Amino acid sequence: MKEQVLKKLQVLADAAKYDVSCSSSGSTRPAQDGALGNAARAGVCHSFTQDGRCISLLKILYTNYCIYDCAYCINRRSNDLPRASFSVDELVDLTLSFYRRNYIEGLFLSSGVVVSPDHTMERLIAVARKLRSEHHFNGYIHMKAIPGSSAELVAEAGLWADRLSVNIEIPSENNLKLLAPEKDFSSVLSPMNQIHQGIELNKEERRKYRKAPRFAPAGQSTQLIVGASPESDFDILRLASGFYKQQNLKRVYYSGFVPVNPGDSRLPAIQKPPLVRENRLYQADWLMRFYQFRFDEILDDRHSFLDPNLDPKLAWALRNPSFFPVDLNAAPYEMILRVPGIGVRSAKLIIANRRFGSITFSHLKRMGVALNRARYFITCRELPLHLRDIDPVYLRRKLSPSVNPKVVQLNLFEHA
Amino acid sequence: MPEMETSPLSLIYDGSFEGFLCAVFEAFERRTIPQALVPASRPSQLLIGEQIEVETHPNRAERVRNGIIQRSSHRNASLVHVAFLSELPGVELLLLRYLVKLFNDPNGRYWQNMLDDEVFELVQIARKVKKEVHRFHGFVRFQETADGMFFAPIDPDHNIIRLLARHFRARFSGQQWIIYDTKRNYGIYYDLHTVQEVVLQNHRIDFNAGNVASEVKALDEDFYSRLWKEYYDAVNILERQNHKQMTNLMPRRYWKYLPEKNQAGKLK
Ligand code: SF4
Repeated sequence: MKEQVLKKLQVLADAAKYDVSCSSSGSTRPAQDGALGNAARAGVCHSFTQDGRCISLLKILYTNYCIYDCAYCINRRSNDLPRASFSVDELVDLTLSFYRRNYIEGLFLSSGVVVSPDHTMERLIAVARKLRSEHHFNGYIHMKAIPGSSAELVAEAGLWADRLSVNIEIPSENNLKLLAPEKDFSSVLSPMNQIHQGIELNKEERRKYRKAPRFAPAGQSTQLIVGASPESDFDILRLASGFYKQQNLKRVYYSGFVPVNPGDSRLPAIQKPPLVRENRLYQADWLMRFYQFRFDEILDDRHSFLDPNLDPKLAWALRNPSFFPVDLNAAPYEMILRVPGIGVRSAKLIIANRRFGSITFSHLKRMGVALNRARYFITCRELPLHLRDIDPVYLRRKLSPSVNPKVVQLNLFEHA
Repeated sequence: MPEMETSPLSLIYDGSFEGFLCAVFEAFERRTIPQALVPASRPSQLLIGEQIEVETHPNRAERVRNGIIQRSSHRNASLVHVAFLSELPGVELLLLRYLVKLFNDPNGRYWQNMLDDEVFELVQIARKVKKEVHRFHGFVRFQETADGMFFAPIDPDHNIIRLLARHFRARFSGQQWIIYDTKRNYGIYYDLHTVQEVVLQNHRIDFNAGNVASEVKALDEDFYSRLWKEYYDAVNILERQNHKQMTNLMPRRYWKYLPEKNQAGKLK
């Protein structure tokens, strides 16, 4: 019995690992005395994988059997590999035992499609329902909405889960059809829209009755695979930006295509996932979510791919010399935020502290500003250095890291 | 308040936060900034000149604490406490210099001015400590004992164990637990009602390996920690290997008590 659970865990954790979303943040599920768990607003990483990704949730599949045959997926029907399915009780026990030992922040439950999307969705819901109502589990639950499942099931899933996500995976409809013949945009977008509506309705309900049960309080997210199909970064950012605006998505995850099914002629023949490109997309996404950039400021028709050698914020600055220099002792927050080398935290510190005196270079350094980049774009008391006087081509060369993908790959989620 | 002058005096306190606040009181009374302000347990060779052992009076500590709150805010007073818990060498003197400025500040805004050296350093140190607290919300690993107690050893850089109480009290209110600092030899114990500080005597815990002795371990304990190790190995994506980022986020010094990291020969 135990050995079986161990085997299943190996198979089904291994099969779930390509979903890169990891966040456990954004929910507030308060603790109840005597019950188990709570969900903190800021997520907690409990461990880190060898590839440097945060482990905060038990990320696992209910089953890796699948009736579909998506080209980019290790679990597709036509692959010959060990298959397994958990029982509902096994998953519940695993989650509780891991949680009690503080190994995890909660559960991330996904699945291959068995029998039908609805059948699969029901199994996932059964796990979450049992955790919540029988075991009074208040930890975080992220559940996949299986593309194509019915509105009622999505509605029930939202009552048990903190976050729901439907993965779009391939950023354009025709390539999705090519690579995942059983799926189309509407099978992904309609649950996404339902979840969005569910969340909006729930907000209103809770305004009227404070005790109305929460619906997916941590919102929804999705994942895009990068590099399995030929869409440009511009296409990808446009799509992501639409998700943020129209569906109010909390996060879009970008997953550099890992060639798990070599030999499929529909897929590009690559050896390694495009990690640098993935990292640049995260940086660009960061600019949209925290730096008030529009996607069409970051890229446009003439520049449809992010420069692998240049952080997208710096690239924007070099294309827009007329915006600079920014006077740190006078400019508004939004402008300071656009200076390369200045992050959200240091921009706030600058604003909060300039009433005490003028901000100098040594202050900036202490606040964490990357002066080697920022100094070309600012004036502050000591050194007014005008970008106007400096050739952007020269600057580009000076500020690009020499092409060393290792270096840029490191700070996956940092950005300044 | 008149200027405080530096003097070749050394103040020695009992190592507690209260004791430290009393040393601050003493310094103010003598109108002097000593050349050293250190806990009795960490004697410094640098002690020259007169040494004074400060006694701890709870009411004096309370007066200093209230003074800080009055001149800044509750939040800021707790920041002073958090920075103190960093146990960084010299932090006491930094805090004293900070408090002198705080108590001399005419317009009540000094503590918000990060352009000031002491304010800035205090905030930086407090950030460091809070970062470690946040890390340990994740890095604590409980082992279940045969009688249903959950035990977790830790050895953090800073003296953060009290700062963990609130989080774990909220999260695990239905089980008894102990989180134990093996470096400083004390812990916090939750008995299903309140959290209290404890010192374990005669313990059945191997502080080197962090393991609860096998005769008091719950039957399933080894099974679940093995499942966890297997899980950790299974989620690794070979093609994405990035060892440096992993050790940045989870520095080696924290691995000792993490079951997924601590087996001999598995230092990868
Ligand atoms: S439906 Fe999901 S699990 Fe099945 S093959 Fe497609 S991506 Fe893989």
